[in-house]
Amino acid sequence: MNNKTYPYYFSLGAMLLYVLLLVIPGVAGIAYAFTDWNSYDSAVHFIGLDNFRKVFSGENMYVSFIKNTLIFTIATIVLKTVIGFFLALLVNKGVRFRNFHRAVMFMPAVVPMLIVGLIFKSVLHPDTGLLNEFLLTIGLGFLAQHWLTDLNFAFKSIIGVDVWKGAGYIMVILLAGLQSIPKDYDEAAEIDGAGYWRRIWNITIPLLMPALTVTLVLNMLYGLKVFDTVYVLTNGGPGYATEVLFTGVFKEFSMGRYGLGTALSTVLFVFMTIIGYFVVKVMSREEDSH
Amino acid sequence: MRKAVGILAAVGLTLGLLAGCGSSSNESSSKEPASSGTGTTKTDNTQTSGTTKQNVTLTYMASQDWIKDSEMQLAKKFEEQTGIHIDFQIVPADQYQNLLKVKLNSKEAPDIFGGQDGKFDLGPLYDVEKNAVDLTAEEWTKRENKLFLEQATWNDKVYALTVWDPTYDYYVVYNKQIFDKLGLKVPTTYSEFLAVCEAIKQSGVTPIYEPVSDGWHHVLWFPSIGPKFEEANPGLVDKLNNNELKVADVPIMEQALTQFNELVKKGYMGESYFSNTFADTEKNMASGKFAMTVHNLGLPQTIEAAFPDTKADQFGYFPIPLVDNQLMNIAPAAPSKFIYSGSKHIEEAKKYFQFLTQQENLQYFLDNEPRFLSLDFEGINGHFTPEQQKFFDTYGAKQGSGLQMTAKYVNPQWMDIGKDMSAMISGAMEPKDILKNMDKRREEQAKAAKDSAWQ
Repeated sequence: MNNKTYPYYFSLGAMLLYVLLLVIPGVAGIAYAFTDWNSYDSAVHFIGLDNFRKVFSGENMYVSFIKNTLIFTIATIVLKTVIGFFLALLVNKGVRFRNFHRAVMFMPAVVPMLIVGLIFKSVLHPDTGLLNEFLLTIGLGFLAQHWLTDLNFAFKSIIGVDVWKGAGYIMVILLAGLQSIPKDYDEAAEIDGAGYWRRIWNITIPLLMPALTVTLVLNMLYGLKVFDTVYVLTNGGPGYATEVLFTGVFKEFSMGRYGLGTALSTVLFVFMTIIGYFVVKVMSREEDSH
Repeated sequence: MRKAVGILAAVGLTLGLLAGCGSSSNESSSKEPASSGTGTTKTDNTQTSGTTKQNVTLTYMASQDWIKDSEMQLAKKFEEQTGIHIDFQIVPADQYQNLLKVKLNSKEAPDIFGGQDGKFDLGPLYDVEKNAVDLTAEEWTKRENKLFLEQATWNDKVYALTVWDPTYDYYVVYNKQIFDKLGLKVPTTYSEFLAVCEAIKQSGVTPIYEPVSDGWHHVLWFPSIGPKFEEANPGLVDKLNNNELKVADVPIMEQALTQFNELVKKGYMGESYFSNTFADTEKNMASGKFAMTVHNLGLPQTIEAAFPDTKADQFGYFPIPLVDNQLMNIAPAAPSKFIYSGSKHIEEAKKYFQFLTQQENLQYFLDNEPRFLSLDFEGINGHFTPEQQKFFDTYGAKQGSGLQMTAKYVNPQWMDIGKDMSAMISGAMEPKDILKNMDKRREEQAKAAKDSAWQ
């Protein structure tokens, strides 16, 4: 009837490897979230949901870590996708030296995060940083801020740096998507009298959906797991204002409280599983309709 | 049916993938700074040449400012004599404690690691019985200052070598020229200190240079005045150590934090305190843009060494004047060197310690370290300037040690107190909350250490 689908047992080998190497260690890790496993005591005791109670009780500010992680994820998804999309449109056609432009825009994605962090720490320094000096020079001194240490700006600055680094990468994926769209649709619509934005909205974006879904998933997984950007720029400060889940996990681990650290990352695992489930559902629905 | 199985398989695989992400990221996040913070780890390179005892490389990891230039010079001399190379791995101060604990916990520690010692902390902080090599039998322990040796001892065994300045604690270092120009006198109470700060601020100079970005320095303002806390509440430390009293119930501590917050809020620490770094202290104090900073007594010498136009004798000292403190704090606990028990080169590391503690090398170390005035070993000649002598004469009669040395479970949470104090000055926390957090962390550590007073 439908010969396109291979029988399920073809995937058994791969499934087995996956279960052995990824699912079992993952689930075993989760089991530790229900224990008091720590570096002071070699015995591990089952303590039920105590770790999760601690995470959500509010007294340790883990809830604000989770909130920050979600804000970071949503903000970077939106900004990277929008900026990446328009960059891709810009360098798609009709620009001189477009390969050069593409390379320049992709460059930040190649630089290691640690280096980016060090560079931006110096660029964003309130007294000697390039950004504030620049604002002062062009007469916009009132816009100068304590970018990484002011409560109102620290987290936004982190998001900004991350978008700066990540938008080029998204651009490349969307660019590949753009180039796979046949020109005929666009030309036909132009002849029918559709304006530029109309064509973008009704032709480009719908046909770009598969690429957008890919960038959505990539950005989301990256955002939820963010660690390095925060660690190098503010290390969670000032105070605890910019802590995210994995800087929290890192700190718990370094304090020797492995159980609590695992509980925190389990919370993230649950988030990812739920979101992953829906993304897979949406994606498989789209495949069906094709 | 097949489609359902297909979708199920897809969901299963994706969940597996996500599960992998969830758990492995825990691991990768802990490893990342290890490679980023310390550059390279060279232990493996040398394993092949282990039999010849030559060409060995010892890795030595420490926080910024713990390894002095003169020690690096000595390490070169050591290499010439023995062929043992010391690979210094210097880590930014605000990341060091986390990084070290992660490395110890994951059994990837360097051959020698630096650590702040303290007689209550060696167990809870570094688990020395498991992680460090017993050094009790070393000859140099007989020549080391007993107060210092005590801080490096856990269950009657010496675990660390401390080569440090016994007069090395933190006080307010002030620019006498600025004070003279404005006709200001050394403050003896907190209200006088406020008046001094206000006058300096009005003259266009920032009163205090405070490098909060390092994460540890601004904490000094609080536990260092431990002798004053004790004076105001006789028996305080004993009660804290017997768990008969919570720090949150000690009004003078809350007052000290409130006053620190007030100094920040009034603009006496300028605006860039969150970005200021400890490493820039000399530069900023020499610039004349700042009038005071909290530092050890050797600062004026290092300023003059780096900026010859600014003379050392234009600086003076007084104790941190929060809550009217006039007592001199002293600190026998200091950054120390431990040998990692899992190291493949324990004997070589011991040799390095023996080399460092030879009398002539100690004297060389002291003579070439401008921040140090004397050393915690017998027979080493210290040197004090008239201004330092004056400071000892004025305040030396009443001495005590900071809270981090007298009260249990305070020192290990130094960086956490720093985070809390940062949160306070950024407006996200109240002084009382800091003390409550301190109590909570003390309780956690005491329970983990099975302290009988907390059972």
